[in-house]
Amino acid sequence: MSGSQCARLGGPLVRQLLDSVDSVLFDCDGVIWRGDQAIPGAARVISLLKQRGKKVFFVTNNSTKTRKMYADKLSSLGFDAAEDEVFGTAFCCAAYLRSECGLRGKVYLVGSDAMRQELEAVGIQAVGVGPDPVSGKQLDWASVPLDPEVQAVVVGFDEHFSYMKLNRAMQYLTQKDCLFVGTNRDTRLPLEGGKAVPGTGCLLQAVETAAQRQAQTVGKPSRFMFECVAQRFGLRPERCLMVGDRLDTDILLGSACGLKTLLTLTGVSTAAEAAAHRDSSSAERRAMVPDYYVESIADLLPALQGEDDPSL
Amino acid sequence: MAGAFAFKGCQKIRGAQIRVLLEAKDFFLFDCDGVIWHGENAITGAAKVVNALIRRGKNVVFVTNNSTRPRENYVNKFTRLGFTDVMLDQIFSSSYCSALYLRDVVKVRGQVFVIGCEGLRLELLEAGIPCVEEEDDPDATIYNCALAPDVKAVLVGHDDKLTFLKLAKASCYLRDPECLFLATDNDPWHPLSGGRILPGSGSLTAALEVASGRKATVIGKPSRFMFECISSQFSGIDPAQCLMVGDRLETDMLFGSNCGLDTMLTLTGVSQIEEAQEYRSSDLTTNHSYVPDYVVDTIADFLPAFEEIEEQND
Repeated sequence: MSGSQCARLGGPLVRQLLDSVDSVLFDCDGVIWRGDQAIPGAARVISLLKQRGKKVFFVTNNSTKTRKMYADKLSSLGFDAAEDEVFGTAFCCAAYLRSECGLRGKVYLVGSDAMRQELEAVGIQAVGVGPDPVSGKQLDWASVPLDPEVQAVVVGFDEHFSYMKLNRAMQYLTQKDCLFVGTNRDTRLPLEGGKAVPGTGCLLQAVETAAQRQAQTVGKPSRFMFECVAQRFGLRPERCLMVGDRLDTDILLGSACGLKTLLTLTGVSTAAEAAAHRDSSSAERRAMVPDYYVESIADLLPALQGEDDPSL
Repeated sequence: MAGAFAFKGCQKIRGAQIRVLLEAKDFFLFDCDGVIWHGENAITGAAKVVNALIRRGKNVVFVTNNSTRPRENYVNKFTRLGFTDVMLDQIFSSSYCSALYLRDVVKVRGQVFVIGCEGLRLELLEAGIPCVEEEDDPDATIYNCALAPDVKAVLVGHDDKLTFLKLAKASCYLRDPECLFLATDNDPWHPLSGGRILPGSGSLTAALEVASGRKATVIGKPSRFMFECISSQFSGIDPAQCLMVGDRLETDMLFGSNCGLDTMLTLTGVSQIEEAQEYRSSDLTTNHSYVPDYVVDTIADFLPAFEEIEEQND
């Protein structure tokens, strides 16, 4: 929202904010966990929100896990979460292809086995998953056989990314009616200990450059991620709170969909970056300013535990 | 939009006009793919044209963004395809020029991490530039890989053995702002014979630019550096005496324009005359740099001009 001020969330503001929403959408990396370590207090926050009757959802651009795999990770880290509350880009990309693109048939997938599984679950067959090194000569690669049933090229995180995969994707995309969908544009996939590896955004850029075409992306900040949740659960945007650590994905999604937004500082973006966007004259930058920020979502605990309520 | 100040250029020439041009210029720069050959097939008449220019005492050099083979291989290919008088020192590839850049401009001290093929490594080796060894470490994963010490530059070229691991390592090295980021060229795709294409170095460079948040320094066309290499070797070269002949507006014509050379588009390769005309009628003056001064259907169109010159000399 252009009027967002990035105010520090504290005191009575916390209860006010929580009372004004029915649903809370959490990003995962940098918000409720870092790599394989839960953020202290995060699990308790989620439990208490549910106890107070709030719906809770997990919205992540990570495409390497199915909903089931996420639900398992959430459980193992002590979070009270159900499979249908999780929205990762593997699931959402399959939903997008099926419902928005009306795709039936096959796709050429540069991505994980989790993506293949989510696609199969909606009746779409994915070819191309796994290692694919070059063999033969240049002319062979340029004339690589194309499966006539493939209707789309789909790009997600793929640790088996290779020149051959880039080539096949490009060859399919020379066909004008072949769709082109990417899961997200994140430049880095965060790992524990502050490490990172190149993200899906790099692989997508490689394919877009070779094919000289732009992909449609499904993940944050694309509105589809919110619409995917909203349609299934009948959510009203103005009664939703988006909690994230990235201004250019989480907060921008929140702004675009008319949600209230909360930045947590346990991940990528800083308060200084948010303030700089707020003071900018660019409307695009101001859309990345959150309504509020906290140091960590654990800062919500006092209000949730009733400790800040003077009437108790 | 035509008008009193309509931008000229894109002039289709033949016969006598070409003869005048050939007499006026003494330095000819040719791109290779799509200009003098398609893959393993020389363009009809191209060998005659090149041999004739050389025999008439014109300077002829070949300027190619193709980084996959060392220059010795090019000499062999020239000979194989009937271009009999072409010598090693007339060949300027983006891999050779990348090596010169590292050795003479940057004067690199330390290792270079290369994403590229054997041809690129050989050029670097020949210039005495140490490259990080391509090791086959079965235990390395993208989450945990050993990095070489003292890497002072990352160089990206065409690499058909590209892996995610290479991208991951390169982006680690590039976290050090002192580590240079170079690319042999920016071509998004390369043409092969028969209208087929393959992903180009530009697509790999783009991936790494996204991963690192940094922009690569591009050695090849349309950057000026290859012309600077040529100038160092052929001292006294005068841009006004040069003609750049190429098939790709966004590389060859822009290169010529950036270096102050007259440019000629040949229609045997990538770009169509309609694309050149679109750039010419564009309101954006920067688009005019893509417009060739002259256009020919094929460089074989030079041949009648040589015959005329010979008739005149008789």
